[in-house]
Parts: sequence; C-alpha cells; structure tokens
Amino acid sequence: MALTLMKGSEAIAEAAIRAGARFFFGYPITPQTEIPEYMSARMPEIGGCYLQAESEVAAINMVYGAAGTGARVITSSSSPGISLKQEGISYIAGAQLPCVILNVMRGGPGLGNIQASQGDYFQGVKGGGNGDYHLLTYAPSSIQEAVDILQFAYDKAEKYRMPVLFLADGIIAQMMEPVEMPEMVEYKVDPEKKPWAATGWKPGDDPAKRAVINSLFISTEELAQHTDKLQAVYREAEKNEQMWETYKTEDAEFIITAFGTLARVAKTAIDEMREEGLKVGLFRPITVWPFPYAALKEACEQPSVKAVLDTEVNEGQMIEDVKLALNGARPVEFLGHCGSQFPTTAEIIAKIREMKEAK
Amino acid sequence: MKKVYVLIGNYGSGKTELALNFAFKAAEAGKRTELLDLDMVNTYFRLTERGKMTQMKEIRLVAPNFACSGIETLSLPAEVASAFAMDWDTVIFDVGGDAVGATAVGRYHQDFMELEEGALEVLNVVNVRRPLAGTAERIIKLQEEMQIHSRLKITGMVNNTNLAGMTTDAELRDGYEIIREVSERTGVPVAYTSGKKEFLDRFLAEGHDPAFIGTPIAIDTYMQRDWDSWVRGLDSSPSNPRPGVYYRTDMA
Repeated sequence: MALTLMKGSEAIAEAAIRAGARFFFGYPITPQTEIPEYMSARMPEIGGCYLQAESEVAAINMVYGAAGTGARVITSSSSPGISLKQEGISYIAGAQLPCVILNVMRGGPGLGNIQASQGDYFQGVKGGGNGDYHLLTYAPSSIQEAVDILQFAYDKAEKYRMPVLFLADGIIAQMMEPVEMPEMVEYKVDPEKKPWAATGWKPGDDPAKRAVINSLFISTEELAQHTDKLQAVYREAEKNEQMWETYKTEDAEFIITAFGTLARVAKTAIDEMREEGLKVGLFRPITVWPFPYAALKEACEQPSVKAVLDTEVNEGQMIEDVKLALNGARPVEFLGHCGSQFPTTAEIIAKIREMKEAK
Repeated sequence: MKKVYVLIGNYGSGKTELALNFAFKAAEAGKRTELLDLDMVNTYFRLTERGKMTQMKEIRLVAPNFACSGIETLSLPAEVASAFAMDWDTVIFDVGGDAVGATAVGRYHQDFMELEEGALEVLNVVNVRRPLAGTAERIIKLQEEMQIHSRLKITGMVNNTNLAGMTTDAELRDGYEIIREVSERTGVPVAYTSGKKEFLDRFLAEGHDPAFIGTPIAIDTYMQRDWDSWVRGLDSSPSNPRPGVYYRTDMA
C-alpha cells in the first residue's frame, strides 16, 4: 500500500474516520488543533458530523450523547482541555459508553505551555474524573502505531463498553512521518449488537428494549451493583488488553522504562550504548491502563538486570507503576524533566553510565 | 532585475524547506537576498527557527515577533514593506499552508502589481504524498482557492513530492504524473522539480517530458527535526503483530 507523508494530527484524524468514526465534537487547543481542522474538512466529505462546540465541557457532553446512540464518536483536546472534560469522561465511563478521547499532552500544570509533555499520566490512568473508573489507555510511540491502534480501539471500546483514551505526547501530533493508512470501514449501528444504545424507542415499543443512558444510581445497593459490574469489566480488560514492547532486553544489565515518543529517544540511546558494549534494553508499556505489571516484572527480574531507569517528560509519574510492578526487586532510578524538556539521548547515556559506575 | 518568489501550497508540502534552499542558493550566487516568513498558520515549523543560519549567509530575514518556538504574535511585520521598497536581487516569501495561509499575501496585492513585468513568480509547491493533495482534482481545487485568497495568479507549480526520510525514486515520478495532469487541465506550467540530489538525478535520467519538469533544483534539508534521528517506532496491532510487541493473552 502507498505511503502518505502525514502529520500525526492528520493521520490520527483520518485513521479514526477509517475506523468508522462519523462524529467529531471538539474545541481547538494547541498542540492538537490540526485534528479538528482536518476533521472539519473531512467529515463533510464522507457524510459525517464535525461540530466545534462552545467549550470542552460542551464537546464531551456531545460525545456522551452521540455515544449513547451507539455511533462511533471521537473528541480530541490537549491537557487543560482534557481537564475540563473530566466530568463528562467520568459520566461516560459511569454510563458505560464506548468512545475515543485523544489527549495530545502539553506542558502543565494549569495552562503550562504548548510544547510536548507527558504530564497527564496520572490524570489518564489514576482517575482524572470522580469515582472508581478506568479508561482503556494507549500511549502510542509513533504515528503509525497510533493509526494501527485506532483500527481496533472502537472494537475494544465496544467490547468492554468503556471509553478509550489516547495519551499521546505533543510530538506525536506535530511530527511528520510516512504512514500506511488502512482501508475505510463503513460502520453502521446494529441495535441487535448494541441493545444498550438509544436508537429510537417510542411509546408502544417493548418497554424492556428501552435504552436508558445513565450514571446516577441513588440507592446504595443499586450503585454497588453497578460499580461491581464496572469492576468486573476492568478485571477482564486487565486480563486481556495489556500491550507492551520490549527492545533488546534479553541480556540487558539495565532496563529503561519509557512510554510514548520518549521511548524512541531511549531506543536511540540504547543502540549507541550497545555499540560501546553497554547492555541496555527498553520496556515500553503501550497500554498504560491496564499497565503490564507482570510483563515488566518478568523482564526486570532476569538475573542479568542490575537496575531500572525510568524516564519520562514529567517529574516522575509512571515510575509509581514501575515500582509497583517491581515491588522492590530491583532499584529504580529516574530521569525526567517537566516544562516539556525531553530527556536527550546524551542525558540517558550519562545516567546509565552513572548507574553502572555506582554498581 | 529584482526577482520575487512567493511560495504557497498545500499545508506541509515543503514550502519552508524550499524557501531556505532558494535563499541559500541566491545568497551563495552573491545576490542580495531577503527572506520573509509570512506563515501565519503554523507556529511550530517556521523558518524563523533557522534565523541564525540565514544570518550566517547574510540573508535579511523578516520574521514575525518571535519569542521562541510556538510563541509569537501572529501579525504581519511592518518590515514586509522593505521587500518592495528596497533594492534586492532576490526576495522570497514563505507563506503559510493552504488557502488560509495564502490569505496573508493578499494584503500586499498593490505592491505585487507594481513589480516589473516578469519579476514575480508565484509558485504552488506540491507534494502529492501529502493527504488531501494526492489527486489532480484536489490540487486544482486548492490552486483555485489559493489564487482567490492570495489575490495572485499562480505562475508555476513545483513538484516537491517526497516522503521525508523514506523517499524513494517513486515519489518524484508519481508527482510528475499527477502534476502533469494538473498542468494540462489548468494551463499552469511546471516551473521546478525539486528533491534531494540522488533522487532528482535518477528522476531526470528517466527521460520524462522536460515541459512538465521545469528547472530541476537539488535541495538540502535544513528543517531537520530531532525525531528524524530517533529509532522508528515499531508498528504493530493484534491482527498484524510484529516482533518485540506483545499482547497479553499469555501472561494472565
């Protein structure tokens, strides 16, 4: 298939459309405004709906409504905008509706800056909104990977009836790489397959078939039953949906953990270090929820591994999950910056050398 | 005679890279050169970031008020007037992408019209490997929109088809075929074909009709990004698994 030179934002937008997304609701914010911009041109061409809402709060509630009909719907924003969406995201999770939410992370907290960052890891995987819920959360490392994951993201969202979150650092949206695009999927809502979807019940129809989209359960028992049901779904997703990548870990003395595009900086550093005979490997979670705890533990508990270096474009967030996975089995060091400064290959190499000398 | 080049075109088609190449070539040939960054659309990838490079080559750069990458006031600097008022050999306008970007030059309509006959080249930079620019229909539609927004008539197209670091011989060739069709249907000539020297040389050796190649320009890459040197991400999905990427079915 022919390659196209695409900006990440455009590729992600087109991939969502090809996966069947026909509804986009959003509000512009750097560094992801190219996603709504692309959607605004493409959606009308294919009979879809592009709507620029008056705010992020409105946009996520439009997603809530459209997802309730069983349609494939998407929204995108960047960190402060995702913060505004958290209430709606919690409602959507509570109402068990599938949808795709893209967070193109920029610097924070607050308005932060508009450069790439990974500061919303906690927000993405440890809650964000209120209540006991999770989002199936992917952290792509390349444009192609984002495109590939989008091809099954809706299937997963619909299987578990939970929202999917893309935790993409700003670089993914802004970089340009050649991409292979999948074929277009023409998605039609099948009420038989989505009995929960509100597809047009009217008085006189079977009352049992009336779909009610709701996240409010006033009685203690009802809410407990509902959250038990959600938790059972999360346990099932934890069992089936973990994804990760290992890179040169087989004989590694040191393992680097990183997610998103920073993992590619780490790989570049690893290739350089291996040329000098320093045995270093990478473990990259692709799903950050569910986090691949067992796989990370297995990779790091090989006898050759002396220590682990976690690197992130923040002040240390995923490191908590790395430490949970290892449970003290290996020392874990950290290299990261906030303020959107990507750790460089030189910094990573210097840190690993320092760890090697300390042994 | 003063030569004025205005580079417009599809978003991401390579206008900035070409503008730098045009400027450096002109400066190296001893021409008094001014380069104007008139990109009001994309605050991330603008030639102002290569300001030091242009200073070293003694090129006068007119840029928006620029704090750092992504931070500037998107206003047309008053200094743009120097392009018309001063005595340059070569003036290059690097304009933002698509019709919306081309709007910025509309403001200078009167100045452009007062240039000597033959002084102005308005170039539509085309990369058919970009989305929304891959067919003759799309290119023609965008060309018409850009002419309206810029208030300028496009005098020529540039075949700048590439896939960045993954460019092969097929890119310029496919670009040639599609741009040739556009040229035949609209009457807009192909003014230049540009690419890295190795690809350009092989393309030229293939013996295509020179009328649809125009002047060949071998270009260098100045807008290189950090990520161009990173290891490429593995691309994988459950239906198309690739080595090193795992899906939890075995770790339950």
